[in-house]
Amino acid sequence: MTDIPTLETRRLMLRGPQPEDYPNFKATFASYRSRFMGGPLNAYEAWMLYAAEIGHWDIRGFGMWMIHDKDTDETYGMAGGWQPAGWPEREIAWIIWPDKSGKGYALEATHAVRAHYYAGGWDGAVSYIDPMNLDSIRLAERLGAIKDKTAQTIDGSDAVYRHPSPQALDGSQLAHGIEMEIGHYADPMFKPKGWALD
Amino acid sequence: MIPTLTTERLILRAPGPQDIDPFAAFYATDASKHVGGPLNEAETWRYLCQVIGHWSLRGYGRWMVTRKDDDAAIGLVGLHNPYDWPEPEVGWYIWSGLGQGFASEAGRAARDYAYGTLGWTTVMSMIAPGNDASVRVAEAMGAVREKDHDHPRHGRLMIYRHPGPEAAAP
Repeated sequence: MTDIPTLETRRLMLRGPQPEDYPNFKATFASYRSRFMGGPLNAYEAWMLYAAEIGHWDIRGFGMWMIHDKDTDETYGMAGGWQPAGWPEREIAWIIWPDKSGKGYALEATHAVRAHYYAGGWDGAVSYIDPMNLDSIRLAERLGAIKDKTAQTIDGSDAVYRHPSPQALDGSQLAHGIEMEIGHYADPMFKPKGWALD
Repeated sequence: MIPTLTTERLILRAPGPQDIDPFAAFYATDASKHVGGPLNEAETWRYLCQVIGHWSLRGYGRWMVTRKDDDAAIGLVGLHNPYDWPEPEVGWYIWSGLGQGFASEAGRAARDYAYGTLGWTTVMSMIAPGNDASVRVAEAMGAVREKDHDHPRHGRLMIYRHPGPEAAAP
């Protein structure tokens, strides 16, 4: 099976999904939180989706990581590359457990996985987002992704957000801004204004 | 992590991207009706991912079966225990080269692995009523019918109990 690399960020460790990480995944996909990612799922569907998340790495050579706290090892959600059959393009995808939102973990994780895939040769990526999923749209926009109305969708019910290319991102004000925002979240004294962002 | 098994005529190896096409071709046909099919291309793709992920979640799973001289997959055989299975089973389906005993040959290798390497003390096979070819394989392997199982998604399934490790020893 594919060796899944480990990614380290300021606060997080991203590792391949393991059997012991399944309960939090299941709880999230059983909840209303998963309504924009094909859920809520019953117990069988959640188990099979988790198995597919693992097998995706072998079939595609890339996939979704489990997001861990670097110090406590606690899991916060998943982020990575996702392209099951029927996906027009490679997607940067994420989900954060409902009780772990608002800490900037999704931003920190997706910024790292995008950089990893760009360093590995991807020339771009998209995120397929339900138009009602305002939190994910805001995250896509903070990552510099722009709605692409001409791109092919998965099934017509999703909006396509196109990420900046590696050249457009490299050394840009945007990239520095993302790192600065992650830095704010990592600062224990930081109190975000407005509603909590992933 | 997924071991490779070798029998007289066959190799049982880890599933991979090279199996997408033959797997999808089988699941596109009615021949897959006893094993959850037919499935469309996207469903089959995801199912292949699940077959691989099963290994990670359970520590065992199913292999792609190939002939020794050709890496093209001709079937899926092995140890299967998804979320809502009553207990682990040894399962098989062969989609190319039917009638040559490949299912029982691969099935025995998988059962030997369960008993010998994993230390299982018993194993069964669940077979959909009407899947007579699979019943013949189970009987050729010495399995005998037990009580039926009412599965929430697949309906009534017949359970065939295999001989234990000593009786089935190769």
